[in-house]
Amino acid sequence: MIGVGARGPLAAAELMRPVPAPSRPDHGGWTGLDLSALDREAEVPCWIAISLIPGVGPVGFARLLRRFGSGRAAWASGPSLLEALPRVPEDAAPALARLQREGVSSIAARIRAASQRAGGAIVTALDDGYPSALTAADPRPPVLYVAGDPVSMATTCVAIVGTRRASGYGRSAAAEIAEELARAGVTVVSGLALGIDGAAHEAAVVAGGRSVAVVPSPLDRIYPPRHRSLAARLVAGGGALVSELAPGSAPGKPDFARRNRIIAGLSRAVVVVEAPDRSGALLTVAAAIDHGREVFAVPGPMDAVASRGCNRLIADHQATIVTSAAALLHRIGAVPGGRPVSVTTLSDPEAMVLHALLQRPASIEELLSRTDLTTGPLASTLTLLEARGLVESYGGATFHPTLVARRIGRPTGLDR
Amino acid sequence: MLAETLSASIVGVEGLPVRVEVDVAFGLPSLTIVGLAGSQVQEARERVRSALRNSGFEVPARRITINLSPADLPKDGTGYDLPIAVGILAASGQLRSLERLRETALVGELGLDGAVRPVPGTMALAAASFCAGIPALIVAGGATGEAATVSGLRVYGAASLAEAVSHLAGVRGLPVAEPATLPPISQGRRGPDLAEVAGQALARRGLEIAVAGRHNLALCGPPGIGKTLLLRCAADLMPPLEDDEAIEVSRIYSVAGLLDRRAPLLRDRPFRAPHHTISTQALVGGGPRVRPGEASLAHRGILLLDETLQFRSDALDALREPLEGGSVTIARVDGALTMPARFTLLAAFNPCPCGWRGSRQRECSCEDATARRYLARLSGPLRDRIDLWVAMAPPAAGTTSRSDGIEPSDAVAGRIGRAWRRQLARQGMANGDLPAGALDARSGFGAAADAVLAQRGRRFRMSPRRTHRAARVARTIADLAGEEEVTREHIDEALTYRGAVDA
Repeated sequence: MIGVGARGPLAAAELMRPVPAPSRPDHGGWTGLDLSALDREAEVPCWIAISLIPGVGPVGFARLLRRFGSGRAAWASGPSLLEALPRVPEDAAPALARLQREGVSSIAARIRAASQRAGGAIVTALDDGYPSALTAADPRPPVLYVAGDPVSMATTCVAIVGTRRASGYGRSAAAEIAEELARAGVTVVSGLALGIDGAAHEAAVVAGGRSVAVVPSPLDRIYPPRHRSLAARLVAGGGALVSELAPGSAPGKPDFARRNRIIAGLSRAVVVVEAPDRSGALLTVAAAIDHGREVFAVPGPMDAVASRGCNRLIADHQATIVTSAAALLHRIGAVPGGRPVSVTTLSDPEAMVLHALLQRPASIEELLSRTDLTTGPLASTLTLLEARGLVESYGGATFHPTLVARRIGRPTGLDR
Repeated sequence: MLAETLSASIVGVEGLPVRVEVDVAFGLPSLTIVGLAGSQVQEARERVRSALRNSGFEVPARRITINLSPADLPKDGTGYDLPIAVGILAASGQLRSLERLRETALVGELGLDGAVRPVPGTMALAAASFCAGIPALIVAGGATGEAATVSGLRVYGAASLAEAVSHLAGVRGLPVAEPATLPPISQGRRGPDLAEVAGQALARRGLEIAVAGRHNLALCGPPGIGKTLLLRCAADLMPPLEDDEAIEVSRIYSVAGLLDRRAPLLRDRPFRAPHHTISTQALVGGGPRVRPGEASLAHRGILLLDETLQFRSDALDALREPLEGGSVTIARVDGALTMPARFTLLAAFNPCPCGWRGSRQRECSCEDATARRYLARLSGPLRDRIDLWVAMAPPAAGTTSRSDGIEPSDAVAGRIGRAWRRQLARQGMANGDLPAGALDARSGFGAAADAVLAQRGRRFRMSPRRTHRAARVARTIADLAGEEEVTREHIDEALTYRGAVDA
């Protein structure tokens, strides 16, 4: 029981010091619990039922197991089950009574059918398919609802997280890192949110890689709705959707925080791309530090509010700076994937514009001062480069070279 | 005895001939006006009575009935005073010679002393009289310039009722008014000069294309970036009105009472910038007595909606019809009436309520859903009708804009004028007004251009409608460059403006 003393008067001083991986056994870890002794057949329905009680999260569940020895015993204890929990919301007791009336086998059948309808399966911590990475990230969620291929979570996973209000720079950085990871066979994990999450999933799927989305909502109600088609493509591409919530339940605020813990738990490393102060992505970082995962952060310009969180993580030595996607791959020991063969010939203005963009992404205004083109021809050239997949613009204000363009390196006018 | 005089009424922005029938019969002395006469017409009774008496005529102590025909058309305004007064004189035998009366329409308000005063819409009323086959028109002395813009119509200006009557009786003829001439082209500056706008090369170029080809433009960006200043420059970039357009537009302004009677023909294209608190009625027209709204006042010119998303959503929705068809139809109890409203829309708005979404310098304080809802105020159909989108950003630190960015308005207006002439010569209308399917080899779209357009459409996942709109913009870009054929460069430049702003 290490660390119990840290709650004493020393706590403040203790907290000032960055602690790499504090373990917090009193927080409901599963360490010491022998799951192999449990009867899986009898346990799973009770686990499902208990996980439906409001206020029972991974921490509370671990407490119940510790106190009663098994899920079946806990369920059988009736209302006294709630007494073992650290915090009980008001609606817990009536909900428990209702569930008890329904009966454990009926609940399990109902939830199983609902998950199947949503295209998912139930995976509990007792199952072989339970992601092994999560067993090392206590408190582990007892019951998961998974749509897609669970193998995607068994291979090396790296999380890419960041703000929903991503800038063009953030999106392009997320896409580039995700694409490199996917090519190297690494599964890209994120939260399916708008902004950085979406850009990372999208790039991984387009590159033909696997991607896992841990969603803060049940599988039958993917959030955000705008990413439903992305979610479907992700599953079709060999990835998976993971949710901690049973189909039919309503997502609340704490679920976003718990989702972030699962993202960190599943992953070997967490890469933060663009996070302002007080970003949800920083919660994922906290969880990653908690779980002893490596944290990387993509630096941003010092005047960019959207990158303040990232820059501070780097300044405080809580995250390793990401200088390039290749360097990140090297750090996590992944082998860069095959490079696409692309023979690209560029006209003079194309070469000039791309060269300028490779030095630094820029707006039309900046490009005007960095090339000798006038507005019309410059705009025309940018659209051509975009159509050829060498340049991307986000929101039409700034233009970025794509990964393909970076691979061409310093372009020269070849068809002169 | 019975008499009849000719006049005209305004419906929307058009005139309609009206007959004023006067019956003077035995009975208790009275003066009744029928024929859906509004309150302004009812008051004519008092004005006419006094004017007649003070002009030395007699108001017959009989039962006088006046009918305005067609009797099912609601009538309002003070222009019937003169025809009513003259009708009474004819019916009571004070005006005996009816020859001239039969071929002369009368429009004018009467003062109690018998003075004839001009009424709004004189130009449209004159046109209506002429179209009805009436060869002559008597209006107030001050309104002859306006009325004489209708060529072929003999217009007489009468200062008083007595003058009008002596002309009609053939005692002392009035001179025929000279037709108004178009004023010289330059009317002086109306807005700021493009040279005052710092940087923003893409928005500046977008504005040039929008004005040259009459395409609708939207600028989106944080507050204080110069959206309004830039768009206000558009007033001086437009080419002058063509001759037929000048009459069309002046007529609308005449109806709205906004015409300067000393220079009754407008030469400058309208530039209207209503405030965002405007009501739907004021924006597209309407009201109990239908008046042209800002959309019609911007006909053949520009309608600038600054802070577009702050406008009432029903007002914005009402703009769909004019943007689609170039006219506004107002449904009324007694039928629908249509007013022309073919304008170029210039829109400017912030990307979210606080204005800082997507900005690097400041954090946006809006919820995602709030920002999305904010942009959703620009409804899909309206969004579809915007051809050019520009996302504006403040210049990044350390970049200096090059000198070619500060071209003055005169230079840009010159280029726009030349592009405008090319469009008129080729197709008789602006590129922005071209219907779908009109862009073919004859308008410079060869096989190569078609192929590029199709490929880009697929690549950027654009609907056929948006592709077509981009093609029209490309045509304008080629016109600005003075080129007959639309090339890959023109299409690609047009596509730079394709992006719809998304939350």
